[in-house]
Amino acid sequence: MRPYTYTAPATLEEAVRALSEAGPGTKVLAGGTTLFDLMKLDIETPPAVVDIRALPELAGIDTAGPRELTFGAGALMADVAADPLLRRDYPALAESLAKAASQQLRNMATVGGNLLQRTRCTYFRGGPPFPCNKRLPGSGCAAIGGLDRGHALLGGGDACVATYPGDWAVALIAFDAVLDVTGPRGTRTLPLAGLHVEPGERPDREHTLAWDEIVTRIRVPVTAAGRGSTYHKVRDRESYAFALASAAVAVTLGEGGAVEECRVAVGGVATRPWRCPSAEEELAGAVLDRRSARRAGAAAFAGARAGTHNAFRIELGIRTVAEALRIAGERALR
Amino acid sequence: MTDTEESGDRTAHPWPPVERTPRVGAREKVTGAARYGADHAPPGLAYAIPVVATAGKGRITGLDTAEAAAVPGVLLILSHLDDLGIAPAGYVMADGYAFQSLQPLLDDRIAYRGQPIALVVADTLVAAVHAAGLVRAAYDEEPFAVELDAAGTETVLQEEALPLPFLADVVVGDADGAYERSPLRVDAVYETGPQHQVPMELIGGVAEWHGDTLVVHEGTQSAGALRGGLARQLGIDPDRVQVITPYVGGGFGQKNSLQPHLAPLAVAARRLGRPVKLVLPRAHTFHAASFRPVSRHRVRLGADRSGRLLAAIHEVDQQASRRDLLPATYTEITSRLYGISSFRGRQRHVRTDVQTPGYMRAPFEHPAAFALESALDELACAAGRDPVELRLSNDAGADPVTGKPFSSRHLAACLRRGAELFGWAERPPDPGSMRETDGTLVGWGVAAGAYPVMTVPVLARLRARADGRVLAEVGGHEMGQGITTALARAVAGDLGIGVDRVDVVVGDTRVVPHHLTAGAWGTNSTLLAVHAALLELRARLGVPREGPVDVAAAVAAAGRSAPEQDGAEVVAEALTKGPGQPPEAVDRMRAGLVAPAGPEYPGHVAFSFIAHFAEVRVAPAAPRVRVSRVVSVADCGRVASPVTAEAQVRGAVVWGIGAALSEHSEVDPRFGGFVNADLADYVIPVNADVGRIEVAFVGEPDFTLNPTGVKTLGEVALVGVAPAIANAVFHATGRRPRSLPIRVEDLL
Ligand SMILES: Cc1cc2nc3c(=O)[nH]c(=O)nc-3n(C[C@H](O)[C@H](O)[C@H](O)COP(=O)(O)OP(=O)(O)OC[C@H]3O[C@@H](n4cnc5c(N)ncnc54)[C@H](O)[C@@H]3O)c2cc1C
Repeated sequence: MRPYTYTAPATLEEAVRALSEAGPGTKVLAGGTTLFDLMKLDIETPPAVVDIRALPELAGIDTAGPRELTFGAGALMADVAADPLLRRDYPALAESLAKAASQQLRNMATVGGNLLQRTRCTYFRGGPPFPCNKRLPGSGCAAIGGLDRGHALLGGGDACVATYPGDWAVALIAFDAVLDVTGPRGTRTLPLAGLHVEPGERPDREHTLAWDEIVTRIRVPVTAAGRGSTYHKVRDRESYAFALASAAVAVTLGEGGAVEECRVAVGGVATRPWRCPSAEEELAGAVLDRRSARRAGAAAFAGARAGTHNAFRIELGIRTVAEALRIAGERALR
Repeated sequence: MTDTEESGDRTAHPWPPVERTPRVGAREKVTGAARYGADHAPPGLAYAIPVVATAGKGRITGLDTAEAAAVPGVLLILSHLDDLGIAPAGYVMADGYAFQSLQPLLDDRIAYRGQPIALVVADTLVAAVHAAGLVRAAYDEEPFAVELDAAGTETVLQEEALPLPFLADVVVGDADGAYERSPLRVDAVYETGPQHQVPMELIGGVAEWHGDTLVVHEGTQSAGALRGGLARQLGIDPDRVQVITPYVGGGFGQKNSLQPHLAPLAVAARRLGRPVKLVLPRAHTFHAASFRPVSRHRVRLGADRSGRLLAAIHEVDQQASRRDLLPATYTEITSRLYGISSFRGRQRHVRTDVQTPGYMRAPFEHPAAFALESALDELACAAGRDPVELRLSNDAGADPVTGKPFSSRHLAACLRRGAELFGWAERPPDPGSMRETDGTLVGWGVAAGAYPVMTVPVLARLRARADGRVLAEVGGHEMGQGITTALARAVAGDLGIGVDRVDVVVGDTRVVPHHLTAGAWGTNSTLLAVHAALLELRARLGVPREGPVDVAAAVAAAGRSAPEQDGAEVVAEALTKGPGQPPEAVDRMRAGLVAPAGPEYPGHVAFSFIAHFAEVRVAPAAPRVRVSRVVSVADCGRVASPVTAEAQVRGAVVWGIGAALSEHSEVDPRFGGFVNADLADYVIPVNADVGRIEVAFVGEPDFTLNPTGVKTLGEVALVGVAPAIANAVFHATGRRPRSLPIRVEDLL
């Protein structure tokens, strides 16, 4: 861990200014559960951090509608997970947070910081001697041909197969969330689907946010499909573990159980939060049953590329999507 | 002072009925008042952090510490470039004190990735961590092998490499012939490990010099080994080393000997003239101490058509380091769990490039039971017998290996009582036949376990005080197993005073010498000494050999009749050891070395037993195994402290769930060492993974063994949990797990 300077501005405007003044390499600090963790491992080495956790502009959540749900980027995972309206009307969103990390972490971590958490790839986090193109561009990828049980099946490449580990973004992408972003050049709105990028040749580049921009708000358009939704997560233990495979699914059902609206995204299996339009197409208009659910799962993983130890997660992922559809379908009928 | 072996004096000293005394120290622990080794914060404290090798094997060709040394606050950087003036402490199982024979920082050799290459000491932890990250090393790398089947390993027969009688292969009758002639045969290979102990308390402590005396505060299961080992390393008199370790935040074998960070820490403290603290980061603990090695077991069982065992052959390959061989005793229990008339064991060591593996709770017995008890389940299927019935019908009378009787053996009672508590009679025999409406498969499995009862030398001193309180100073360690509670209960129960009138001091070399506390022998060994000391105390107090004592009055009376005592206290001491242990055993205890083999009981062999029953559920979509229910019934002799004994067994069941389903130290042969070196990636169970656990005890005192009737519990509690779960998985799914952990991909 390296020494760094710490500032805690009182307003968003001051924070934007503090960031610009501190210069490139400076990091925004929210709950610190990713950032400090990686700083202790010497993986992140920012010379300066700007603490935004207490900024009033980032606080608060509104899940009452009528047009959209809004989540301040500084809201705590624990608070959003426990929101009664969200749990009733968008169980997938609430569950994606409730099933993430541990209560202690959720009490610290913010829903904004959560989006930008970094991969759990042990070779990335382990530092030397492991080569890692994400940590040290051009050094190679130890996971390819190595211990890749948890690595990505979708969206990987020859340079990197690190999984995007977060749960919340997977649920959000299924609901077409957008982000409000503020920086020295003003304020802009960014679809969540445009935030994370696949590794390609530059695994060190993980998202499209500029270093001096701050996410202030996450917005989700209201949809009736929220009620018929679930975040289903399969992991090595019952709690406090990242997903081996997860699925965020939302449906509305019409006459005879035919699928009207349908949203499917998968997590723990891809290099970024992964929406599955082909699975959604597979289901559109179909009767939701075991067979169609399985077909949707298979469609979601049609492009999967397995490494050495992770092929089982293709079948697991297909089943996870199917199981999520079963749960969501039951909820949609209630 | 009395110096006794176990006496046959059984009836003279009845023990009080079992009461549910709460754990001594529980409140301190949950409120944070308990002080662990690294909590010690003397004024002027400096902080140390090691730098570890990133090469898998080879030589350090360059070590650049300039940048690190320039960090403000850095006081000292120790490495092989310096002359630390310390000698290796020697391997604990070869007349030494340390978990391995290799002492890092003495030369440029790298034996394994993660080996310390420098120790940075600074005014603050922040500076030490920062500087440690700036030390640069260059290596001349050599090929290495870290897996059993890798090229470059070396396999040696234990009999030849460690020619000691108690390590010889167990051979009874003609097992190979009997196996070949058996109408029913099972032949399978089982594998477990590597795993790490990962106790909550990290490895570390504080070293400080008071004049020319070194005082160490560190969580350890062997204060005596730290004392003796540091004296040897630093070339000073053992009386100039004091080790204080009132609580250990979990040991499980990881802290059973001297760790190599301590001598350099003492050197740093001496050079700086300041106390120095070192707490290893969690990631370092995966390479800084021992671990459970990989073991591969080929088990062959021969039986008649009814499932009556005729022969067993158990061959084991255990991972070793290049330097040290951890004496393996896998077959000690597999040759005795059942009445098998022909048995052949063979234990080999496979040398690899790792730190020396070592003891982790039920080090041999847990893997051995996984192998044998899984094979037995396979035999039950082949014979068409119920697995409990099969075990009962193969119960042993006398010890199949020596022909001697067991001091006590209630395995059958464990199995019967467990079956009853569990509702085993309802179990349909066929795999896959218990299915819930949502398709979840349910399975029930059983397995048995055994663990040898060992007894070690202990010195106990009792101080009866004028205020009616009694202070017990005992050579033992409180690592959460509840030894303090058992000792306080024993003293209070004997004298008929409240447990709150008894103070127990363990883990302090300033008051008594300490033998290593491990192998579950802590409670029975210390109780034996306390039992003898109580008799001595009663004699000195001039009170009858039994019955309640008014301690204050007796101390006052003793003071009047013996004016040479100052009237403030009456002191009694006793030193006990296991039967058949030579007097050297006591000398070794005083020196902090482990007792030699034994005890050798003249007329019997002694084991604790247990039976575990597990229920698992395997959901159809993601077939991850969930353990919904476990019943464990133990035969540990008299239960010395019910509350902590039950906690021991429950804790062991949780261990077993982790061992069976999730814990695995990942090895990448390209880099060596262990890769998943943190608690996010080394998957131990969380509360939600643990279903209902019911614990019961046979509770029959074993007075053949010793006058307290207490056998051992802490280790046997784990033996058999994993195979009970694995057998339940088979019953649920029809798939036979032969290697651990059993993860979702194994059942997909
Ligand atoms: C042991 C462990 C287990 C975990 N398990 C899970 C799990 O199962 N599922 C899961 O989803 N997550 C899991 N997590 C990750 C955890 O949820 C994230 O660490 C947390 O959500 C990050 O939020 P934070 O507020 O602490 O972010 P920080 O650590 O403060 O920041 C994270 C990153 O986001 C940036 N950042 C933060 N806020 C903003 C903002 N408003 N605008 C721009 N950039 C910003 C920071 O600069 C930094 O790069 C786990 C973490 C740990 C340590």
